[in-house]
Amino acid sequence: MTDAIVEYRGISKFFAGIRALENVDFACKAGSIHAILGENGAGKSTLIKIMAGVLQPDTGEMLLEGRPIVFPTPTAANAAGIVCMFQELSLVPDLSVADNISISDPPRRFGLIDRRAQVARAQELLARVRCEDVDPNALVRELSLSRRQMVEIAKAIGRNPKVLILDEATSALTSRDVQTVYDLLAELKADGIASLFISHRMHEVDALCDTLSVFRNGQHIETFAKGEKSEREIVRLMIGRDVEAQFPAKPPSKPEDQRGEELLSVRNLKWENRLNGIDLSLRRGEIVGLGGLDGQGQKELLLALFGVLRDVEGEVIVGGRKGLPSSPAAAKSARTRIALVPEDRKTEGLMLGMPIADNLLAASFSKISRGPLIDPLLARQAVDEGVEKLNIKIGSAEDAVMTLSGGNQQKVVIAKWLMTDPDIILLNDPTRGIDVGTKQEIYRLMRELANEGKAILFYSSDYAELIGCCDRVSVLYGGRVVSEQQGDAITEESLVAASLNIGVEAA
Amino acid sequence: MRLSVAPENRPIVIASLFIAAILAAGTAYTLSTTGTTPLLSPNYLLQQLQTGAFLGICAAGMMMVILLGQIDLSVPWTLTAAAMTATAVGGDMAVPTALAVGLAVGLLNGFGVAYLRIPSMIFTLGVDTMLRGLMVAQTGGFAPQDTATPLMLFLAKDRILGIPVAIFVWAAVSLVIALILTRTGFGRSIYATGSREGAAYLSGIRTKWVIVGAFVTSSLCAAIAGVLLTGYSAKAYQGMGNAFLLPAIAAVVLGGTHILGGRGRYAGTLVGVILIVLLNSVLSIMQMPEAGRQIIYGAVIIGMLLVYGRNQQVTS
Repeated sequence: MTDAIVEYRGISKFFAGIRALENVDFACKAGSIHAILGENGAGKSTLIKIMAGVLQPDTGEMLLEGRPIVFPTPTAANAAGIVCMFQELSLVPDLSVADNISISDPPRRFGLIDRRAQVARAQELLARVRCEDVDPNALVRELSLSRRQMVEIAKAIGRNPKVLILDEATSALTSRDVQTVYDLLAELKADGIASLFISHRMHEVDALCDTLSVFRNGQHIETFAKGEKSEREIVRLMIGRDVEAQFPAKPPSKPEDQRGEELLSVRNLKWENRLNGIDLSLRRGEIVGLGGLDGQGQKELLLALFGVLRDVEGEVIVGGRKGLPSSPAAAKSARTRIALVPEDRKTEGLMLGMPIADNLLAASFSKISRGPLIDPLLARQAVDEGVEKLNIKIGSAEDAVMTLSGGNQQKVVIAKWLMTDPDIILLNDPTRGIDVGTKQEIYRLMRELANEGKAILFYSSDYAELIGCCDRVSVLYGGRVVSEQQGDAITEESLVAASLNIGVEAA
Repeated sequence: MRLSVAPENRPIVIASLFIAAILAAGTAYTLSTTGTTPLLSPNYLLQQLQTGAFLGICAAGMMMVILLGQIDLSVPWTLTAAAMTATAVGGDMAVPTALAVGLAVGLLNGFGVAYLRIPSMIFTLGVDTMLRGLMVAQTGGFAPQDTATPLMLFLAKDRILGIPVAIFVWAAVSLVIALILTRTGFGRSIYATGSREGAAYLSGIRTKWVIVGAFVTSSLCAAIAGVLLTGYSAKAYQGMGNAFLLPAIAAVVLGGTHILGGRGRYAGTLVGVILIVLLNSVLSIMQMPEAGRQIIYGAVIIGMLLVYGRNQQVTS
């Protein structure tokens, strides 16, 4: 290819003898938006880490604008115009937005950082990503995940990239911010900048990218222009086999009197200014979705139900008694049997450095103990059962959980909670940053659990999931339920309309 | 060092090899000067373990706290306060009194760190200073009884089957701590909380209780060490615990426990204690001047930690 800005020739990379990339030829053209598709562990991250100077290839060479080049450090890659936004947010939470945006190259006057110029620069870049509402002097810690990700994008743009790598950059974004990123990438494309886009959301890839490359097991399978292959074909290329329907079939919706027992009932739930009178009911055997834009109180609602928040007001009946659990420990107790799969599996869901077994058992010590002591036999049985039930791919249960791929990590979190045999399962965006195959396994599992008589409350930032998985969806706006939709009435249009609170009531 | 050693055991293996090296070097020295090998006699080793018991018990408690990513700087004066209060009470109630003092200090430390959310480095330092003030006040006005009770003398100095009782006490404490860490929900919760408190809390672990429990264990261990040390020196005195803080922390860290919490095995702490005790002893046998001993002692600790750090980088 003549106009390739970055080209790989026969690049391989091994970790402790395990293949991460093998003999990859790959090229990315200027002025294109290039999607990299593949399951977790397919080698996408290694591919871009080599490009960004984080990793060195074991064999092969990389060409930048036709000339062979080696990036010994990320700084060198940055200087050459390759800017990467990693999946793990790389902002410093205790610094201001402006500090973060100029962190590697702050404007200086007489050798000291010029604060005013720094803020002005931040304002300009934030305006470019249409986040004028973000105060450059605010601490990053105070921003929502979606806003943080936008700041990250602003920071990347500020480095004047020739190649912009977005690794799951949209996974935490609200739909409005996603649109902004689309527009921005289109502008960059017109400027001749190459964007590499890694996402697990097919509709985003479809809407955005002009070229698609599929990776599987460390190999470059195929590169083709958008529209050449159907979604089904692409998924088949990614996972190397056929997949059945994306979502499991829902049971027909039942009339009011035949529904399961009500496990949770919430009236007029209030907390600070984030929850402003939520009404909600959760019955055995159903999956209830929480929809709406990011930051409308969904996360707070889940945390409140799990006993994390203090001073929550409202009438709650759960486990046959009034009142919310007072702590996560109380929430998982025999009375309420609530489980929460939290938003951020890396910091809230898992002890990353600890063995898989310890993570799986972390919520169930009392179950595997006889008297005061843990019974190693019961512990091993419980671990084996969890690994088997969720089909978690592990080497040894004593390996650190961080050695697993994102999808398998999330399965560990879910398995940990299933071990407690919960009645109510709260899921906070459980499929974020997870590959297609694992997503489908999680959807199937959710339906199985519901059929076993558990109640599931499911927040997702992906509308397709809500439509595909949920029996009912409550859309939140400004800390209130603005719309409740059921069965076939759950459509993308009705969800979007309700999310924006523009009053188009679904039937 | 073979590659087959699991990363978490590597510090233990290295420290064990270093212990062998210390003994070899010391023996080479004594052979060349006097032609004897006193370092390898069982009696010498038992005596080292007996004096090591005080440090070992402090380090066992300290390990619980360090596994949480916290630190207990109040060990020296907890030890002293427990010992001095115990001898002042005297009689049969002496040892229970020492344990009660330990329990009280542990609850205070745990409350400050878990509920008031004051960093443990500051809070326990404050408690240490307060305890010192209390002890000075206690001895300032009148002279309390400070002689060890018969039970203390027995625990620290007597021998059963030729083995010092102090070693049995240390072994019992070690057994309990090792059992707690590996086989109880409390112990596993310490690892989980130290690894990532937020995730542990959201797993329904009562992290505040875990923190309080670890600090109570640490203070109880310090109190037990105080009882033994009083018996060993036949009386309790101010500043008797001062020599134990840094070696206790060093022993835990040399044994491979991560200073930021979440990782470490009790066997490592045991090896760390033995390493420090033998290093001190061999240096003094070699008649190294005090200044030289301090320098070598510090250099060994830093050097070993560098070796551990290297290994971790290679494995990650």
